[in-house]
Amino acid sequence: MNPESFENLRLELRRGCLVLAVLAALRREQYGYTLRKTLAEHGLEIDEGTLYPLLRRLETQGLLASQWREEDKRKKRFYLLSPGGAQVLDLLLAEWRSIDTSINEVLKEQTHGIA
Amino acid sequence: MELLERYLQAVKFWLPSRQSNDIVAELSADLYAQVEDRESALGRKLTTPEIEALLKQRGRPFLVANRFLPQRSLIGPALFPIYRFAMKVVFFCYLVPWLLMSLAIAFSGSIAPAARPSHAGPVWLGAVAQLSSRMIPTAFIALATVTLIFALIERAHEKSNFLEKWNPSQLPPLRNPNQIPRAASTFEMAVNWVFFIWWATHMNATQFSIGSSIHIAVSPQWSWFYWSYFILALANATLAAANLMRPYWTPLRATLRLLSDATGAILFCWLLKANLLVSIAIATVPQDKSLLITQAINLWMPRIFPLAIALTLLIAGLDIYRILRVQPSTTPPTA
Repeated sequence: MNPESFENLRLELRRGCLVLAVLAALRREQYGYTLRKTLAEHGLEIDEGTLYPLLRRLETQGLLASQWREEDKRKKRFYLLSPGGAQVLDLLLAEWRSIDTSINEVLKEQTHGIA
Repeated sequence: MELLERYLQAVKFWLPSRQSNDIVAELSADLYAQVEDRESALGRKLTTPEIEALLKQRGRPFLVANRFLPQRSLIGPALFPIYRFAMKVVFFCYLVPWLLMSLAIAFSGSIAPAARPSHAGPVWLGAVAQLSSRMIPTAFIALATVTLIFALIERAHEKSNFLEKWNPSQLPPLRNPNQIPRAASTFEMAVNWVFFIWWATHMNATQFSIGSSIHIAVSPQWSWFYWSYFILALANATLAAANLMRPYWTPLRATLRLLSDATGAILFCWLLKANLLVSIAIATVPQDKSLLITQAINLWMPRIFPLAIALTLLIAGLDIYRILRVQPSTTPPTA
């Protein structure tokens, strides 16, 4: 297996999951850096070059709301899930669980087939 | 901290001015927060190499800024396969024939002597120099034109999404490589019969006239050429008729096609070398000029010989490929 191919597939798989993770993490208001740390603590490393454009895109889509505030003598932009974003998060989570169930069923079926 | 500001300034340079302050302020907050985090963990200020390592990890300023820009491409992934196909067509059907023709002309000595400086080296070097000076702009214009057209189509596609509108019933019919199109056989048969009749009625002589003013004389060896082409045209017309009746290639018919093409090409190559033209007399041209024209034709025909050989090999190669492709067990397609 080519490690580069695996890395590409892994990134592709993670891309959609990151949106879900960001929306879920922003049920609590955070600014970019703390959000990155929160995600990293939960095993989802995301670099700033991916996170900030993603935050902007989600905000443009109306899923997030943001505001500049001063904290620790530095201006920071805080993000929070919008009501529309909360609805989308629920739908995405349902979709995520459905995919998870389907994959498990496919795996279970194949395991039985092999056995 | 000057290095951090320089980094942010470099990122800002590549950002659209409308958003640059906002994006840079956010990146700045993130960057300084990360530095402070590290410093509090280490209990000291970060050194310059450590800051450099941190910035390197974040990436080149241009690439960082690029992620905030809308992802646009001159020719998008939807059109790219068609664009690549068009480029190949232009390359193989326009540039390569153009290059081959230019090479043939250049190496048969048709480069104007005035175009070569008197101190120039070998003739071939001058020919290559002259050719490449014409080749580069020609290739550039051809490929740039295709790219420009596709860029315009891409812009139109972004607005109308016209590629999504299609009709499955308009897909091309299933291709059978062994099928011979009836239209091609009909055309081939018609051309061969017209040629055969013209050849039989006009070319069985050693002196021909075109209108009343041009008279051509050829050597007696012409009769060999005449009869060979007579038989060949008849054979080709018969083969085309057989192809029309049974429109699929069989190993036998594919081999016959190879033999007929090879015979025709060999005869043509022989014609180029045989020096059959004796004289051309043109009523309105003085005799000495007519002689010059005859000599020029006799001089030029052997020079085309290498090109004719190359063409012969190409045709034979395609015919051999067809023989290899045809399965012996091929059954006629059900109509």
